[in-house]
Amino acid sequence: MFLHNFKYTFKTLFKNKSLIFWTFAFPIILGTLFHMAFSDIESSEKLHTIKIAIIGDSITEEKKHYDTFLSSITITEEEKLFEINYTDEKVAKKLLDDGDIKAIVDLSDKTKITVKTSGIEETIISQILNDFQKKEFMITTLLENKVKDENFDYANIDSIYQQLALEVSNSNYLNIEDTSQKSMSYTVIEFYTLIAMACLYGGTLGLTAINKGLANMSSLGKRTSVSPTRKIKIVISSALASFIISLIGLALLFLYTIFVLKVDYGTDITSVIILACIGSFAGLTFGIAIASVLKTSEITKTGIMISVTMLGCFLSGMMGITMKYIVDKNIPILNMINPANMITDGFYSLYYYETRERFYYNIISLLIFSLIMILLSVNSLRRQRYDSI
Amino acid sequence: MGNILEIINLTKEYKGIKAVDGLSFEVKEGEILGLLGPNGSGKSTTINCILSLLTYQKGIIKIFGEDMEPNSYDIKEKIGVVFQDVAVFDELTVEENIDYFCGLYISNKDTRKRYVDEAIELVNLKEFKKFHPKQLSGGLLRRLNIACGIAHKPKLIFLDEPTVAVDPQSRNSILDGIKRLNKDGATIIYTTHYMEEVEILCNRIIILDKGKILASGTSAELKALANIEEKVTVEVESFSKNQLAEIRKFTTVEEAEYKDNNLTVIYKKGKNNLDKLLDFLKKENVHYNSIFAERPTLNDVFLELTGKDLRD
Repeated sequence: MFLHNFKYTFKTLFKNKSLIFWTFAFPIILGTLFHMAFSDIESSEKLHTIKIAIIGDSITEEKKHYDTFLSSITITEEEKLFEINYTDEKVAKKLLDDGDIKAIVDLSDKTKITVKTSGIEETIISQILNDFQKKEFMITTLLENKVKDENFDYANIDSIYQQLALEVSNSNYLNIEDTSQKSMSYTVIEFYTLIAMACLYGGTLGLTAINKGLANMSSLGKRTSVSPTRKIKIVISSALASFIISLIGLALLFLYTIFVLKVDYGTDITSVIILACIGSFAGLTFGIAIASVLKTSEITKTGIMISVTMLGCFLSGMMGITMKYIVDKNIPILNMINPANMITDGFYSLYYYETRERFYYNIISLLIFSLIMILLSVNSLRRQRYDSI
Repeated sequence: MGNILEIINLTKEYKGIKAVDGLSFEVKEGEILGLLGPNGSGKSTTINCILSLLTYQKGIIKIFGEDMEPNSYDIKEKIGVVFQDVAVFDELTVEENIDYFCGLYISNKDTRKRYVDEAIELVNLKEFKKFHPKQLSGGLLRRLNIACGIAHKPKLIFLDEPTVAVDPQSRNSILDGIKRLNKDGATIIYTTHYMEEVEILCNRIIILDKGKILASGTSAELKALANIEEKVTVEVESFSKNQLAEIRKFTTVEEAEYKDNNLTVIYKKGKNNLDKLLDFLKKENVHYNSIFAERPTLNDVFLELTGKDLRD
């Protein structure tokens, strides 16, 4: 009987177009919209390799350290800040005109930068070279003052100069870290709330399945209740079928966002999956509680479930991260009892913090929330006779 | 034949209203018992109490000789219920719906397959077995509802107004199916508003109102309880008030009225009523086109017992 009910619950839920829309299609559509709305903002904020040209003839022995410096600056371990094309002036100008490079660096007597337009990348190269020049001047001046010292070691002047230059430049530029990639971006927080929403929407599956097994809630429930199949079998097999469908929906959402929308959920994907599964379980118990406690039509219950979920996601930052901070600051209790925030905050902590305290706190909060929902449901589900139906 | 169902002094109150008031009756094996009553008379509440879906304050309910409780799974295995509301899954086909509900009783796949096919045949839904409920007409849907409730071959079947809002063809098909179920050994408790169905189907009838039994017996026994002997309708071109007053003076006449060229005379017990009426019409030189006499119907008995006031 358990497998029989599981099979048919699975079938009926999968064939329910409205449920499948809310649990499968809606999060994917919303994710696509988020991606379309925020990807340009994200992209423009990230630091990319800048193509420049250095006039080859201008790299004299005195200016060789400029070239060494520019070619040494990196964004990440694999990515350099500048891709340098060594060429003559004529070709460099052609490349600049065609938009193939952003700037021409001429290291002749006086270092000169030629750009065609003004933008972030042009400003970066200009700023870096200006800064380098200033520091070079500063070092040169310092050395000249030292030279005036009677005890100065003239034999090592070149090496001292080079070392000073390198130390100064190293301390500022050689390892430029693109902090925008690690900071909490618009897109990532939106996708956290999206996953939270998908987890909680899974509850509508549980709601529908359980509603159809309760005599005081539906005609189908009356028919099921007069059968010799125990209620616990009906409830658990229905809940299990709902949970599995909910997880399938989540898996599709993850696959779509990771492989199609290229969303980065961080490096610890196992913890992400564990959190999503527990979030989905919390959503399921929430749906079962609504189905068993509220005595109203299934449509009204589904409406309540969807509205509460949307409100929870809104408060946890779906329509803007500011809302999460406002609630955290002014009504923290609201976020403490909001399952959408528990899920979102769990993802946030995985991505942003080195330690796991906050992640575990959110996991435990979700489990406590689920337990409360189960206890609420049990009280109604254990009833076998009703005063009225 | 032994009693399959026994109800003793069943009382169900809800919000201070007695929906069932000290009800006692029994159903014998092989019987088709008709439960008749106006809306709110307590028919469905009685059935829901019997099925352990509702709480009740007093009373004993025994099915197959054992107390009926929510956990009486052995008893539930042998019961089939067709509720008033159609209860099927829109997402499943006709065949899948019947298989699902049958599967709550029968775990063996082969047996279940056979039972499902037989149920489909019983309600004449063979050509619709791959259809979804939304593709079915009201009558077909009712037939599916019945098949879902009886596919597991129960010994005791509750049918709660199974023919509401169905066309005459579907109704005939449903009634034939019920007769076949009874012939195959099922005991049936049938609630309806349709008197002709009760007359066709039921061996015994209980008339309920306000949670109490007003009368019970066979159709003939109930008709005998009626305070009228016969109703005579005569089609006449004209009939004066004085003539109508004369007829009302007849000792056996209960009521007489003239409306739309029809003179209707209802007689209490008595003999030769028609002769006397015809003599009177001849004497008064009243020409008539047609005349017919009816014996009291179950409907007359029902209205007489439950009153003619409108119910919710």
